[in-house]
Amino acid sequence: MASRMRVEELDPLIHVPARLRIVATLAALPEGDTLSFTRLQGMIGLTPGNLITHLRKLEEAGYIATEKTGNGAASLTTARLTHRGRTALEGYTAALRQLIEGL
Amino acid sequence: MTGKDGTPQAATAEEGEVFDPRDAAALFEETTRQARSRFDLMPPILTLAAAVTVLVAYGAVWLSVRDQHPYSGPTGTALAVLYGVLAVWIVFVATILHRSLSGRSSRQRRLEAVVFGAIWISIYVFQGALYHVVPSQAVAFGVYPAVGPLIIGGAAAAGYEAAREKPAHASFAVATVVLGAFAAFAGPADVWGVVAIGGCALLLVGTAALLWERRVWHHG
Repeated sequence: MASRMRVEELDPLIHVPARLRIVATLAALPEGDTLSFTRLQGMIGLTPGNLITHLRKLEEAGYIATEKTGNGAASLTTARLTHRGRTALEGYTAALRQLIEGL
Repeated sequence: MTGKDGTPQAATAEEGEVFDPRDAAALFEETTRQARSRFDLMPPILTLAAAVTVLVAYGAVWLSVRDQHPYSGPTGTALAVLYGVLAVWIVFVATILHRSLSGRSSRQRRLEAVVFGAIWISIYVFQGALYHVVPSQAVAFGVYPAVGPLIIGGAAAAGYEAAREKPAHASFAVATVVLGAFAAFAGPADVWGVVAIGGCALLLVGTAALLWERRVWHHG
């Protein structure tokens, strides 16, 4: 029961496979760099709809920032991990490490 | 945890379902490893290719000028080898950078590219000025083109890497400056041979350091 409680202490916004991969991928970029939606989708392998849903949740939490430039076929959407998102990921991985050591 | 296309397969857990922490840790490590590899701007293959390029390009010039007394500059064949090898190197670098930078954007990277581009152009403008003031083949087409880019470019890179708190990269840049400064003592002909061998050795050490750095990424 104690272990179960500790699992629940993991940040629920990151502790979902798709979002963990999104955040881990963006965290591999230098701070401030942005990644296009198309390349992120290619690297993560999610459908556009799924990716948009997960990006929206992360953006609402302030973990990522997205920006859309241009219109129509020339439009480009980019995403970057915010400082808050990077801090949240560091907290998540630290908690994950502690949890695994306790298992 | 890796799919057919090489991307990590997420565990099946979705929103509200149980996601085992060990699966999460494995997924995080695999995703991070793959992302770093795809975003890598300086893979070891690049420095290894640079080592070969320096050895062949500078070595070709040295072979053509080593018996010249007085120094009259590299032959047309040596220059063709030098520029041919450099052209292949530039295409190779462009391919690697395109692979890494595709879909990426950064105001900081753009500024860095402009700054280093301006420094690089200034190196060769200065070469023209040097020949204009001191019309010496030995200086303007011997010592300076062999070591000028190493000293000026290396100094700029050392400052940049020190500001980024990357001591290993800064040390490599400083070693390049030191190589350039000492190689100049060899004179207009032999400086090419010293830089060919010294530069190649330095880049091989750099390749080994990069391999070690990536090993730490993947296993650390």
